Amino acid sequence: MSGFATESLHGGIRKKDPHGTLRTPVYDSVAFEYEKADDMRLAFEGKKLAHSYSRISNPTVEDLEERIRVLSGGTGVLAVSSGMAAISNVVLALAGSGSRIVASHFLFGNTLSLFEHTLKPWGLSVDYVDTTDPGQVDEAITDQTRAVFVEIITNPQLQVSDIEALSRITRARGVPLIVDGTTTSLGLFSSKSFNADIEVISSTKSISGGATSVGGLIVDNGLFDWSKNPKTRPWAEKAGPKAFLVYLRREVYRNVGACLSPHNAYLQILGLETLELRLRKSSDNALSLARRIREHAKVRSVNYPGLEDHPCHEAAQKQLANGYGALLCFELAGREEGFHFLDRLKTIRRATNINDNKTLAIHPASTIFSEYSPSEREAMGVPDTLVRLSVGIENLEDLWADVVQALEGV
Amino acid sequence: MILKVNGEAKTIAEEQPSVMKLLFLCNVESPELVSVQLNGKFVGKDHYATSQLHDNDEVDFLYFLGGGR
Repeated sequence: MSGFATESLHGGIRKKDPHGTLRTPVYDSVAFEYEKADDMRLAFEGKKLAHSYSRISNPTVEDLEERIRVLSGGTGVLAVSSGMAAISNVVLALAGSGSRIVASHFLFGNTLSLFEHTLKPWGLSVDYVDTTDPGQVDEAITDQTRAVFVEIITNPQLQVSDIEALSRITRARGVPLIVDGTTTSLGLFSSKSFNADIEVISSTKSISGGATSVGGLIVDNGLFDWSKNPKTRPWAEKAGPKAFLVYLRREVYRNVGACLSPHNAYLQILGLETLELRLRKSSDNALSLARRIREHAKVRSVNYPGLEDHPCHEAAQKQLANGYGALLCFELAGREEGFHFLDRLKTIRRATNINDNKTLAIHPASTIFSEYSPSEREAMGVPDTLVRLSVGIENLEDLWADVVQALEGV
Repeated sequence: MILKVNGEAKTIAEEQPSVMKLLFLCNVESPELVSVQLNGKFVGKDHYATSQLHDNDEVDFLYFLGGGR
């Protein structure tokens, strides 16, 4: 395999375009035609290499999937309509009524809402633990546990768990380790190298590049024996190591219908080409800002895993090879001060979303986590004092000047 | 010998060919992308050369479309 940047530009193209275009065209077509009825039968049975219907597969989407597969080193990839669709598809495929998932107690607000508000009434139970303590994960796994779920860098707590240590436990206990790699997006962290089984990514973020389109990815690293999960076992007999993705493609993903549009796939292929450059630049900016912001008198504390005194710095240093990510959080005196800071920003934009090319600022407690009570938010590591920056790729000094002038008015 | 390949009876001139040989004999498109099922069970690539086929075996060549090898 070539380097990451080279593969981002050249990897994954299987078929030569009839016009010699260097870009994968947008195949904005719902259905695909066949020469013969038997060709159609074979395609529907998966016995012919052909697309039939774009809710199930599409040439532009396939090109994105193949590029991601090459970059991840996984056995296969499924592109879906959003990061939340990726998580939903994976959980629906692995678990069900009466089964359990072990998850980090720090989760993206919508992921927590999916588990607690959407899937709990369907009979799924989630055991929340501190995944920086692998012993807690080991203790929480029972015979009903179908997966362990953890974010590579939690948002907005910025906690980093030791994925290799967690994978040793999940491998021994026969459950897959699912990691949410949205904040690292393949370029900062290789989930396969640290033995995670499934990686879900919101490609809306770093991969789309400039927040152009919503999308999600499911990467199977090919490390888990799918005969160990009751729902994937029948598929393992038929499809071996591809069981999980075949089960998704032929049933769960097909039936749920959360497919990625060809146009969004095209935009995300474009974004992929500059992914490594943007990940490095935003990580460099974030580290520099973190070091400067923590010296400011109005700031109570700074949370960034690249800082040497961060509680998870050791795990971050071990796992995050090319930077510590774009997310940077800090605490001011309270919610009012946070709002004043946001209102004074001139270059940095007030918006939800992370890993845009532009630096974005948000007060998480009053927005992403607003459906939870103050005490629940405290337990989730989202106090009213917290401000989150998703650092972009602007010139560092411009960002710093904006932060300083905004802090001075607080 | 007679095999059922992708749901259709097929006469194969060779006796007891391996899965690998059948991929060649059937001129399977993009064999590097295919998953093989023999009588409904998955056959790993490592076993293509050693898995011998017998009369009336059912062999299916399956593709996982999209980023899967």
